[in-house]
Amino acid sequence: MTADPNAATQAFPPPPHRRDSPARYLVPALVAAAVAVGLGVYGKVHDPTGTAFNLAGFSSTGAVKSWLATTAFFFALVQVVSAFMVYGKLPGPSWSATLHRWSGRIAFLVAVPVAVHCLYAFGYQTYSTRVMWHSALGCLFFGAFSAKMLLLRSERLPGWLLPLVGGLVFTGLTLLWLTSALWFFRTFGVST
Amino acid sequence: MKRPGPLLTLLAGLVLGLFMLTLNVTSGTKTASSSYSEASPAASPSPKKSAPASPTPTVTPSPTPSKSAVPNASYAGRTDDDTASVAVTIRDGKAVAYFCDGRYKEAWLRGPVADDGTMKLTAPNGAVLDGKLQQGTKIRGTVKDEGRKYAFTADKAVKPSGLWRATAKVRGAKIDGGWIVLPNGRQTGIVTRDGKAAAAPRIDPETGAVTVDGQQLTAQPVTP
Repeated sequence: MTADPNAATQAFPPPPHRRDSPARYLVPALVAAAVAVGLGVYGKVHDPTGTAFNLAGFSSTGAVKSWLATTAFFFALVQVVSAFMVYGKLPGPSWSATLHRWSGRIAFLVAVPVAVHCLYAFGYQTYSTRVMWHSALGCLFFGAFSAKMLLLRSERLPGWLLPLVGGLVFTGLTLLWLTSALWFFRTFGVST
Repeated sequence: MKRPGPLLTLLAGLVLGLFMLTLNVTSGTKTASSSYSEASPAASPSPKKSAPASPTPTVTPSPTPSKSAVPNASYAGRTDDDTASVAVTIRDGKAVAYFCDGRYKEAWLRGPVADDGTMKLTAPNGAVLDGKLQQGTKIRGTVKDEGRKYAFTADKAVKPSGLWRATAKVRGAKIDGGWIVLPNGRQTGIVTRDGKAAAAPRIDPETGAVTVDGQQLTAQPVTP
């Protein structure tokens, strides 16, 4: 069984006057901008400390972050597949919506410590192309993710909007992974 | 009722982020540094011929006191505790620096130089260099690496002293070498083989030639 996540619930139709309220789009957009700019400003203004948490069993924070990021990226791939299932583009089990929700939550929560370390220890940096893109995309990713979460709360969105924002979030995470974890593994080897 | 799930997800992420941040702030710098710091003061300089501990002041040609732009130049010197070398090269308001103890501790730092000669350079491993150019003749400052702070003085350095780097692949291993040549000829260098740091062989400061693992490499002066 597939369910359209945008379908309005029969039991509770939205009041007609709110259907086209611009706040539905404006609030997520503004929050996304605030999150992205806020993270960037914090990374730029505060002094990078260089040190932060490390986990037992890993040789360096770089390794920890790379594996956390890889975990997030794996769940992001699950996100894409399960999203196709939810939309009925791929055959999927009845629990594909649950899978989509929870794989997204895990991916997000796994990515948060990585971002905290990046911002706390390194800050927003632009000394090379890779680093510049990684810094900018890192801020944009969390902005886009906030927008996606807030948009989910609205009903009767245009059908293309969630896939578009979701695709943006996925693209952002993929590029973040390519510019950090993949670089780390290629530079220092696949180590733990 | 609106779906609370996405909002809860966001809140959970926010709480987790703030939690990690406070953990970092309160645990401070002690976590990573303590294990390392014991080893470093007993630094026995690896194979070096030149007489140590006498950093001869360089002949400084024309200390350009123009305030508007920072002159292009290189600087090299030792930390106050004499455990590591620091070199800074400035080009067009940008700086690249190398901090190196000649054994296993190193950091490549980059960043802009303000018009008043102050700079804050950062390294991918988190090291931070704070420095100030003094009358265009030397840089006084500190390097913070792995939770320890090293004060240093770097005098103006003219070729062949300064900052050198060589990267290559030798038998499948990625080689990345960095050298600081002080004005008195003393060298401090580290060669990293696939991420493992070790003392570097001497380079010929005239040509940059150096033999690493039997392979002849040429180190280049580093520019930002």
